[in-house]
Amino acid sequence: MSPTRRGFLKASALLAGAVGAGGVPRVAQALGASRPETGTPRPAGLRILILGGTGFIGPTQVPYALARGHQVTLFNRGRTNADLFPGVPRLVGDRNVPGGHDALKGTTWDVVIDNPTTNPRWVRDAGQALAGRVGQYLFVSTISVFRDYSAVGIAEDGPLHAPAPMEGEFDRAAAQYGPNKVRSEQEAVAQFGASRVTIVRPGLIVGAGDLSDRFSYWPVRIDKGGEVLAPGTPDDPTQYVDARDLGEWIVRLAEGKVTGTFNATGPKTPTTMAQLLYGIKAVTSSDATFTWVPADFLAAQQVRPWSEMPVWAPPQGGMAGFMRINCQKAYAAGLTFRPLADTARDTLTWYHQRPAAEQEKARAGLAPEKEKAVLAAWRAQAGR
Amino acid sequence: MAAPLRALVLGGTGYIGPHVVEALLAAGHTVTLFNRGQTRPGLFPGVERLQGDRNRPDGHAALAGRTWDVVYDLPTGTPSWIVNAAAVLKGRVGQYLFISSTAAYKDFTAPFPTEQSPAQDPAPMEATDADRSTYGPRKVRCEQLVRAAYDDAAAGSVATVLRCGLIVGPGDLTDRFTYWPVRIERGGEILAPGRPEDPAQWIDVRDLAAWMVRLGERRTGGTFNTVGPRTVCGIGELLYGTAACFSNDARFTWVPQPFLAEQKVRSWGDMPVWSHTGAATLAFCTSVIDAARAAGLTFRPLADTVRDALAWYHQRPAEEQARLRAGMSPERERALLAAWHATR
Repeated sequence: MSPTRRGFLKASALLAGAVGAGGVPRVAQALGASRPETGTPRPAGLRILILGGTGFIGPTQVPYALARGHQVTLFNRGRTNADLFPGVPRLVGDRNVPGGHDALKGTTWDVVIDNPTTNPRWVRDAGQALAGRVGQYLFVSTISVFRDYSAVGIAEDGPLHAPAPMEGEFDRAAAQYGPNKVRSEQEAVAQFGASRVTIVRPGLIVGAGDLSDRFSYWPVRIDKGGEVLAPGTPDDPTQYVDARDLGEWIVRLAEGKVTGTFNATGPKTPTTMAQLLYGIKAVTSSDATFTWVPADFLAAQQVRPWSEMPVWAPPQGGMAGFMRINCQKAYAAGLTFRPLADTARDTLTWYHQRPAAEQEKARAGLAPEKEKAVLAAWRAQAGR
Repeated sequence: MAAPLRALVLGGTGYIGPHVVEALLAAGHTVTLFNRGQTRPGLFPGVERLQGDRNRPDGHAALAGRTWDVVYDLPTGTPSWIVNAAAVLKGRVGQYLFISSTAAYKDFTAPFPTEQSPAQDPAPMEATDADRSTYGPRKVRCEQLVRAAYDDAAAGSVATVLRCGLIVGPGDLTDRFTYWPVRIERGGEILAPGRPEDPAQWIDVRDLAAWMVRLGERRTGGTFNTVGPRTVCGIGELLYGTAACFSNDARFTWVPQPFLAEQKVRSWGDMPVWSHTGAATLAFCTSVIDAARAAGLTFRPLADTVRDALAWYHQRPAEEQARLRAGMSPERERALLAAWHATR
C-alpha cells in the first residue's frame, strides 16, 4: 500500500522537525582526535571560529581541526558542556538576545562554521557582527529543506520549502524546521556572499553523543536481544551519517576552500535496512532475530516511520525518496564513511555510559510493549 | 575459581590446539602437550611436552603412570589412536574431551540435527584417515570408543564429545570462512549465494577453546553439537555483518540456487558457509545447539571474528593469500555474475 496523501502530509510534518543538526547538550568526552584523512590539502593554521561547538557535531570538529594544525575558537553561551575543551579560546554570547553577537565584532576569521542554527536571525546577526571579515562561512543545514520526498534521488537543486519569514517572532514549530533552514541558507548567502558560503545538508546524523536516540534505538534494541520488529522489507533503503564523518569533512571543506551546496548523508554505497540491522548485530553477542513487518501493516497498527521505526521510511509514495537522497556531489568532494561496525560499537559504548534514567527513557523508537503487541498482531494475521 | 586443572592436550600444535592451550594457561591451569614433536616444536616453550607417535601401539608410553583431570583429544580421526591412548589413560583421567564433527550424522541433507539424530554407521576399527570418505564413520567409531573408555561414573570419569561445525578464525587454513571477509574487503559486486535467509553456521575457534576450558573446569560430560552463532542464522546475516566491518563499495547480487546449480557452483566448497534445502551440507549449517548453549557455550560478536580472521590472513605469505583454498576465483565470480545478468 502506498501512503495516502493525508498520511504523507502527516509524515512530512513529523519529519520536518526530525532531520538536522539540532544542538544537543552533553557529549562523550571520549570523542578524541580522529585519524587524519589523506588526499586533502591541509593549509596550516586556519583561524576557525565554530559557532556552538559543544553540542553533537562541534566536538567532532574541534579535536580534528586542532590535530590538523588549525587555530580553533568557540562562540557560544558557555552553558552547554562548558568544561569541554578547556584549552580552546571561547567567545561568549547568547544569539537569542539583541547584541548577542557583539563578542564577534572586530574579529577576523578564515573560516566560520555555524553548527546549531535554525533561526535565520542568528545568521543575519552573525553576518552583521562579522561583516566582511570572514573568508568562508560553512552553514550546517538539513535535507529537511526539501518540500517533496516522493522523488528518488533528490539532488541539491531539488524543490525547497518556501522560506520562513524573517519578520516577527521565530516560529520553532517542527513543521517550520525546513522553512527556517531554507531562510537561513538564503540569509547566509545574503550576508557572506555566494562565493564564500558552503551549505551542508545532512540527513540523519548519528553516533556517540546523539541525544535524539533515533539511530541509537537500533543498537540498543538489538543488543537487548529477542524478537525484534524490523520495518518494511530487508531491501528497503536507509541513509545516515556518523557525526564524526560529517564534522571532519566540514573541516576538510574549509581546508579546501570548497563552497557551494551539498547534500550530505550516506553511506556512499546504497545500504538496505537488512544491512543496517545485521551490521549492527555483528558488533553484539545478542540473540536478536528480526521479524520483518510490511509497511502497510505497520501503518494500520499506527506505527510511525522514522520516529517509532528510526532510520526508516516506507520506500513508496510520499516518502519514496527520503532515504535515497542524491549525495554524489558530497562524495566527489571528499565525504567519507567509517564502517557501520565502528558507528554501532561507539554508539552502544556511549549509550551505556549515560545515566541510567536517560538510558531508560529513549526519545525515539518503539516502546517495548507496543513492539510486543504489534509482533503478536502480525503473527495472528499472518497465521504464524 | 576452583583448583587449577592438570590438562593433557593431545596434538596441541595445529589449528585448535594453540587456542585451547592459550585459554587453559590464561585460566591458570597446568598444561601438558603430547605429540610427535614435529609440528611447530617451538610453540609454548614453557609447557611440558611429552612425545609419542599415536600410530604405534606403544606410542603413548610417555603418558603411562601419569594422571590428569582432563584430556583434550583434538586431532583424532583414527579409531586405533583412541584405543592406544585408552590403554594407558583409562582410569587415570577425570574427563576425556573428544573433538568430533557434524559429519557424525547419517544424513547431511536433513536439517536441524540434534544430538539424538541418527549417526553414521561406525567405521571398522582398522580405518585410518588415509580414506577421506570415511571421515564421519570414523568419528562415530571414535566417539563410541571414547564413551566406552571414559563414561564411567563409578570411576569418576566423564566423556565429552563435541560435534563441531565449521571452526573459523585466526589460524584457519581451510579459508572457508575467510573467503567472505577477504572477498568483501575487496569490494565491488559480490556473488551472494541463494537467498539471504539460506542457512549458515560457524564457530570462532576462540569461543570453542574458551568453552572447552569451562567444560573441563565443570567436568561436563555428554555429547554436544558445537557451532554458532547463537541464533538460527542466514547467510545474509554473515555477509551483511561482515560488510559492516568495512567502508567500501561492496554490494551483493543474490543469485538463486537453481541457477548456481546449473553453473556447477557447489555450496560449501565454492560458496563457503552456505547451504540450502536439498544440499548435502544442510546439516552443517542448521545444527541445533540448545544443549551446548545450556552448557555455557558463548559467542563473540561476528565483527571480532571478521577483524581477527582478516588480520591473520594478511599476515600470511603473499602466495598463500593469493590462493584461497575455498571459495571462488575472481574470474569465475565475474563470469557467473555476467551469465546471471544475461538471463535477466
